[in-house]
Parts: sequence; structure tokens; C-alpha cells
Amino acid sequence: MDEKKISVKVCLGTTCFVMGSANLQELIETVPAKYGDKVDVMGVPCLGLCSIDWEFSKAPYVKVDDEVVKEATVEKVLKAIDEKLAQQEK
Amino acid sequence: MFIDIDCSQMKKYNQNAYGDYFVSKRYPDEARLIAVLSDGLGSGIKANILSCMTATMLLQFIENGQIPIRKAAEIIMNSLPVCKVRRISYSTFSAIDCDDYGNAKIVEEGNPEFLWIRDNEVMTPEYETIQSKTFKNRKMKVYKLKLKLGDRLIFCSDGVTQAGLGGGRLKLGLRRDGLIVLVKDKLSEQADISSSELSQYIVNQARNIETDRHPKDDISACVLYFREPRESLIFTGPPYHQQKDAEYARMFDNFKGKKAICGGTTANLISRELNRPITMDTTISIGKLPACSYMDGVDLVTEGILTLTKTLEYLESNTTDIDNAAGKLVKFLLDSDCINFMVGAKLNQAHYDPALPIEIEIRKNIIKKMANVLQDKYFKKVSIQYM
Repeated sequence: MDEKKISVKVCLGTTCFVMGSANLQELIETVPAKYGDKVDVMGVPCLGLCSIDWEFSKAPYVKVDDEVVKEATVEKVLKAIDEKLAQQEK
Repeated sequence: MFIDIDCSQMKKYNQNAYGDYFVSKRYPDEARLIAVLSDGLGSGIKANILSCMTATMLLQFIENGQIPIRKAAEIIMNSLPVCKVRRISYSTFSAIDCDDYGNAKIVEEGNPEFLWIRDNEVMTPEYETIQSKTFKNRKMKVYKLKLKLGDRLIFCSDGVTQAGLGGGRLKLGLRRDGLIVLVKDKLSEQADISSSELSQYIVNQARNIETDRHPKDDISACVLYFREPRESLIFTGPPYHQQKDAEYARMFDNFKGKKAICGGTTANLISRELNRPITMDTTISIGKLPACSYMDGVDLVTEGILTLTKTLEYLESNTTDIDNAAGKLVKFLLDSDCINFMVGAKLNQAHYDPALPIEIEIRKNIIKKMANVLQDKYFKKVSIQYM
């Protein structure tokens, strides 16, 4: 089993913040409580995705390792983490 | 030299308007500053109108530059009417026209003599007296000074020098001598005190010696402090030409003074070009603003537009001491004298998506408004460079 920690980066740039990443900040508290030290959650100043994704309105963005979660919600992010953990256990 | 200027005022007890009026204006292109303090006859609304008219008229006369300050003041002195009831002058004034090189011209009519302090000693400048041709009891003093780094000038209304008049301890009031002792004591305790703190201190002390701490007259203290400027730089927004990122990052790095970055993309740009990691504050953002980040060699890193918009709001409404990113930016700005903005002109299309729940302003406009507030309200020197 791979012991590498999963990194979760919540974009707190302008677009993502107004589109709801302000509410995703609760992940910073809930994720460690749920997964312990298997997952690292942090806010980042900007993932730079809104300006290159020409569909724009997919903000807020969260990165779970290299996978981008578009229109992220707490549920979507938790699901992505679960999938990553399941993959690691295989 | 930078001229740190501020004025603190207190109303006469039971009045709802200030009877003294202070106005000042900086002219960055000419490195010049003009300030006028006027004390209107009586108190309340009437005094407010009289002093406001005198001060603003005098400022406009001087700023036009068509006539020298001395002539402008003389015209005003000769034309100010006399109160029918009390038979005394309608208002008194002090005006100063000075520059960053330490040249100062001062005229006084009726206000208490100003204090000139150098190395904690009171200087005695020479002056010329001009007698009014129309009113026998009016004369003004004209001074021409050469100021040095560290000098201070203190102008007061008679509410300060007459504070405590007729009371228990100081029968004749604070007077000029009392004011000198007060100011010297404060300066020996805190040699580099800002003008805003010193003027506030004088006004509070004057109020404290009044019976029941009720000011019997309007109290105003205006302080000018000639000192080395505190420079700061704010980099916000990615540059229009991406190929120049490295050049701008170097400029930012080479700046001597305090530095701030406002914007996630801008922070990433500097981090990439200077190879310095960013760490974000782990505390959950308070209110409606994203938290600050940290980077070596940068004093403050915040999100862009939202924080700038909030900062402008705080500056306009005099809101300080707020514990969020905008509050920190307000403190950063107010602790500087010369503020330089590097504003990237690139737009992020995503900010203008109508689906966004709030309207996001264009960066250039916010910075322009902020520069105006910082200049007009907080007397800062501001320069903006678009990239």
C-alpha cells in the first residue's frame, strides 16, 4: 500500500472564493477529523484555472492530488478523496 | 523629506459642530503642501461657517499661485468683517505653504504663535509684522523658515493655549509655556511620534485640564513633522505582457521598503519568478474575505479584487483595527508615507462572468479611487505604475 498523503488544495482566488470556495474552507477542519493524517488540506492563493478554462463558470476549483474537481462542493471533494484512497488500497 | 501632517480637533462642550476649521492639500508634482487652520468667531455652526470660509478661501488664493501667501493673507485680513455684537474679528487664521526641501512660508493672524521644534528645543524664528490698513487692531506675522530633517511645527487654536482658563490649577490656562512643556515631555518620551498621535495627544491633554473635562472652546492642534519618508510598494494584478513577468518580479524584489502583494495570480507569479514558496494562513477566512498568505521578503500577501474593494471601503469610512486581510492592508497603507502601486493591466475574463454572485470591479478603477482617498484624506504621496 502506498503511504503517500493525498493533497487537497482549495483555491481561494477571487473567482473561486465568490463562487463558493469560502464554504469549502470547512474542509480544513472536517477532513483531518475524518481521515486523520492520510489527507492534507490547504488553501492556496489561486490555482490559476478560471482564467484558462474558457467555460469559466466551473469555479470553484479544488485539486485532489492532480485531479481537478470543478464546481466543487464539500460532497464532491469528499467523494474524490474516497476514490483516491480506494485506488491506493488496491 | 516627507511632511507628515495631521490635525486633531475637539468641539466645544455642548456644540454639535466644530468652530475651528483645518484644511490641507498636497501637490505631489511640485513637492508642495499648503495647510490652513482657522478659528471662527463664537462656536457651533456659526463659527464653523466662518472658519470654513476663511480657510478654504485662503487655501485657494495660495494654491493658484497668482499672488504670494503673504499678499493673500493680507487681503483676507483687510477684508474680514467685524462682528457687530462683539466688535471683534470674524475669524483668525494660520497658513503654511511649504515644500519637501524644507522651505516654509507662514502667516498668522490672531491665532496663537506656532511652535517650531528642533532637537527638542523651541526655536525663535524671525518675523515681519504687517499692520492692517483697514483695522487698527489687526496685524499679521509673516515668517520664512528653512526646516531640517526632524523639525516639527505645531499650530494650535486658542482652545489649546487657553485650556483650563479660570479653573483651579491653571488660572491663566495652559498658555504657550504649558504647551511647550507638554510637547517637550512627550517628545523626549517618544522622539519619533507621528503627527497624528502628537496632535491627538495635545488635544486630549488640553481637554483633560478643562474643568470637568468639558472644553470651553473648540480645540485644534495641527502638527507637521519633516522626516524621512516610509516607502511601500503594492504589486497587484498580472502584467499585460507575460514575457515581462521576470523583469517586474525583479523590480519588486529590488524595492527598498515595505512590500505587499494583492492577488492570487500575482503572488504565484512572484513565487515562480523569485523561487519563493507561498504558504497560506491555515485559519479559516473571517467574514467575506480570503485569508492572507506568507512569502519570504514580502510583508503582506492577500487576495486581489475583493480585498482591495473592502480596503477602499474601510479607508473611506475611517475603519481601522479590523482583523482580516483588508484590515491588515489598511494598516500597511496608513503606516506608509509614499505608496507606490504596480498595477498589472491584464484582465481575468472569469471575473466578468455575469453568473458571479457579486459584481467585481475593474482593478484599475479601484486603485484609482484608493489613490485619491489616500491622497486627499490621509495625505499620502501616491504613485501608480501600470504594467
